[in-house]
Amino acid sequence: MADRKPEDWLREEYFVLLPQVRRVVQNLETRVRHELLPLTVHLKNFERIVITSGSKDCESAIDTLRRAQGESKVFDPNRGGTYTLTDLRDLAGVRVLAFPRTRWIEANDLLRAVFSSWESRPMQDPLSKSILVHKYNGYCSSTDQIRAELQISPMLIGQFLDIEHSAIYKPSPELEGAKPMMRDHTNAVFSALQAFDAELERLMQERNST
Amino acid sequence: MTMKEKMQILEAAGYRYNFKREFYINRVERKVFSVEFIEDSKEERLRAALATPGPSAGDWDFKFNTAPSPSVRRELVSILG
Repeated sequence: MADRKPEDWLREEYFVLLPQVRRVVQNLETRVRHELLPLTVHLKNFERIVITSGSKDCESAIDTLRRAQGESKVFDPNRGGTYTLTDLRDLAGVRVLAFPRTRWIEANDLLRAVFSSWESRPMQDPLSKSILVHKYNGYCSSTDQIRAELQISPMLIGQFLDIEHSAIYKPSPELEGAKPMMRDHTNAVFSALQAFDAELERLMQERNST
Repeated sequence: MTMKEKMQILEAAGYRYNFKREFYINRVERKVFSVEFIEDSKEERLRAALATPGPSAGDWDFKFNTAPSPSVRRELVSILG
């Protein structure tokens, strides 16, 4: 029988882990919805808090692990079955999108208090260094094998990242070469969306005070 | 020098970004530049790396910050062809 490649071992591992991953997703989403109830029941008409959840699919998980292998971005065939998908931080994930910015801050404060032991790895604006998206990684009570990721994002930034991720970060032959070239444009969008949020917040505060 | 300017130098030298592998490749020169190497290099180092002659047919020159191990190198060569 031909030697198995690291990818073959990882595909097998994925389907062993999948039931646990699904339990983690369900567990985390339920907890997040519960903890955010004090906010979500009092939203004004124009305010939004959207909670979504999911698990990485098999090939995406393997690809993420492959890209984490330093500059070469390939698995070392000599290491065979020593790679593991449990090294990934986000096999299971829950995302909270909030609008306006004040709701994003409140949602983060509530959830950070509950998940205080989780590792904080925020996504920062490359230019201003301000936090674009709060990200926390940790384990749910249902398993100590699968690390989960909780993202809390302003809605405008989160929806932009959705498009950016699917168009630029996932392999797409027609966009080959686009990623580094798009960096300046991506940074400009972050700045514009943050400016929009900040100005809206200022206007709302001004209106509320008159 | 910005990353964009470095990428323009590479593209002018015939390198193309491979999205899946996430590095710059020139199949004629048989040379590969990692994004990390490009980011960490000043213009002089980048131009010097571009100026070195490519390897003979069947081999590739990897311009990485850390040279790949022999087995990783073999894997990369088999992928690149």
